Amino acid sequence: MTTSHPTVSSSLSRRRFLAGISAAGAMAALSGCGGSAGSARAEVRFYETKPEAIPYFTGLAKDFTSSQEHIRVIHDSSSNLSASFVRSNPPDLGCLNYNLEMARFMERGALSDLSDMPAAARIRPDVQQLVNQYATYPGRTSVLPYSMAASSVIYNKQIFADHNLQVPATWREMIEVCEKLTAAGVTPIYSTFRDPWTVAQGLFDYTVGGMVDVEAFYNRMHELGTEVGPHSEVSFQKTFLEPVTRMMTLAGYSNEDAPARGYGDGNTAMAQSKAAMYMQGPWAFGEIAKAETDVDLGTFPLPMTDDPADRKVRVNIDLSLWIPEMSTVKSEARKFLSFLMQPKTQNAYNKEFLAFGTTKDAPPVTDPRIAQMQDYYDDGRFYMGASQFIPRTIPAENYIQAIANGASIEGTLRRLDQDWARLAFRQ
Amino acid sequence: MSDTTTKLPATPRDRSTRKRRGKYGRDRANWPITIVLVLASLTVLVPLYVTVSMALKTTQQAVSGSAFSLPSPLTFSSFAEAWALTDFPRAFVISALVTVVTVAGTILLASLASYAIVRNWDRKLFRWSFFYLLATMFLPFPVVALPQIKLTGIVGLDNPMGVALLHIMFQLSFSILLYTAFLRSIPAELEESAKLDGASTWQTFWKLIFPLLAPMSATVGIFAFLISWNDFMMPSLITSDPAMQTLPVLQSMFQTQFSNNYNVAFASYLMAMAPAIIVYLFTQRWVMSGVTQGAIK
Repeated sequence: MTTSHPTVSSSLSRRRFLAGISAAGAMAALSGCGGSAGSARAEVRFYETKPEAIPYFTGLAKDFTSSQEHIRVIHDSSSNLSASFVRSNPPDLGCLNYNLEMARFMERGALSDLSDMPAAARIRPDVQQLVNQYATYPGRTSVLPYSMAASSVIYNKQIFADHNLQVPATWREMIEVCEKLTAAGVTPIYSTFRDPWTVAQGLFDYTVGGMVDVEAFYNRMHELGTEVGPHSEVSFQKTFLEPVTRMMTLAGYSNEDAPARGYGDGNTAMAQSKAAMYMQGPWAFGEIAKAETDVDLGTFPLPMTDDPADRKVRVNIDLSLWIPEMSTVKSEARKFLSFLMQPKTQNAYNKEFLAFGTTKDAPPVTDPRIAQMQDYYDDGRFYMGASQFIPRTIPAENYIQAIANGASIEGTLRRLDQDWARLAFRQ
Repeated sequence: MSDTTTKLPATPRDRSTRKRRGKYGRDRANWPITIVLVLASLTVLVPLYVTVSMALKTTQQAVSGSAFSLPSPLTFSSFAEAWALTDFPRAFVISALVTVVTVAGTILLASLASYAIVRNWDRKLFRWSFFYLLATMFLPFPVVALPQIKLTGIVGLDNPMGVALLHIMFQLSFSILLYTAFLRSIPAELEESAKLDGASTWQTFWKLIFPLLAPMSATVGIFAFLISWNDFMMPSLITSDPAMQTLPVLQSMFQTQFSNNYNVAFASYLMAMAPAIIVYLFTQRWVMSGVTQGAIK
């Protein structure tokens, strides 16, 4: 072929072309270095992604920026958190849900110590303790809980009143309520088995949390590690067998189309008073309210034993604040953190988003939909959801969904044990 | 004249053939195929109908549990809300920039590389570089995500420019596969005659080969456009400045585990879909001809 013998001119222009390419590449590389030059204010990147709260926090960031001379807070609601840590430019202040995934950053010392901040001293010790249930880093208080979501059984007050039902205080009463409702032709519980997380955070967490000391259980499970199995002191197949069996008893009172229903369907059904009870957290209230019906809802902790004193509510850390070690504007980020932790700012958030305060001086909640949980929260009668302590490597939510849809309880829990032991062996 | 004379005696036969052809001809519909086609078009039209009607509903209607009901009252507030929440003009410009750079870069680099490979097929280096490039098709982005995030961060490419470069890179192997198949069908004699007229390799490529590649460039460009415009993962991981984020990433805020915003989400999706549909309307001629280009060599 003639073309395989390059002429002098063609090789020259090819070289020129390559030079052009590399110049373009260099330009591109430089373009990343421009940006924030010329501003006297230090930029604090504030990471908050809870969708319904984005406008609220954007407003706070603006207010704070206008009150300051040397700080500008930029609200980031779209970045990828893990990627930013990998790239070594994490946000300067994080404000997000705290869970096992987030705890990994803390465990590895990526988050700075906030224990010397005045705001840290105001947080209830038993609430701060919840952070440590996931992981700890010696000598540091790296994460400050900002708001707590308390969840329990959502119930339709009107349906309960129509059928002369009292809020159940024991397991037996709970079953009676379900039986009476069934007899009256009302669906007792609206379940949404299509979304695995709704089974895990609802039915599963409530039934397990009501019978098992979740924190102690997982502490022991971590100690046992590879030894978890049919003969170990605690195990999913042994400790969780009874709660999960009871969970299936309750699941039997669900709507018939539960396997085909998702979270959105559940909210719609509750808004239209199609069922008496719903196992969801306070986040569902906002969604139910979108339908703008006049449904009257309340909450009560699911009674799992025959002693009313055993009732507890499930809590999770709705938002927590932390400042990464890698941040270059820590002191400025701390100023904004203090601003957010001011009682009037924090309480206003909790009021608007149906959350409970984390400080000793937090006022009680006033919204009638969650007010019934206040006493439990104040007395520390709460637990964190059992499903939240299983690493994502184990598809626990899907296992739980399988149980809800009829898989063998013993077999599935045994598999959870095996997965747990295998993961412990790998680590 | 002879035409009319020959046609006249053929008329009765014509009529009979039309009758016989009638079974599969224009006169009677082919019902099985029609039903399949109707079903196929429904799979597109039904979701599209839901998208449009949802976008025009109020929030209250959107959660009423009946997706197929007509919106009443009709409201355009979802579009306004989506516009404001995603900062639509800015996100749109960034998405468009990334896409344009990707499409142009992919067409340019892939055509050049394929030309070099095909015309130097007898050399080991070129042959093996082809296999090397093809092998990268087996590497999905998530596998190399972490090192890519680190690398782009180090060299200052953690911005839309870096996303576009990576899009080009990941499109390269597939595009080269398409181009090389097409290039092999272009006779070498064409180039020889250009050479005889004194054209350099560079001129041969730009004046002869590249115009001949046009249908394939359209195909490659369309694939690059779709992948770049719709991509979520790469911009989400690579771009570090939230103000430089592309549309699909910003739209993810409308649907989370705990909340749905159907009407706003669908309004936003419609706005984001518009360019893809408009591009398709104008280029469908080339899409259809282009898609079959690589099918037979």
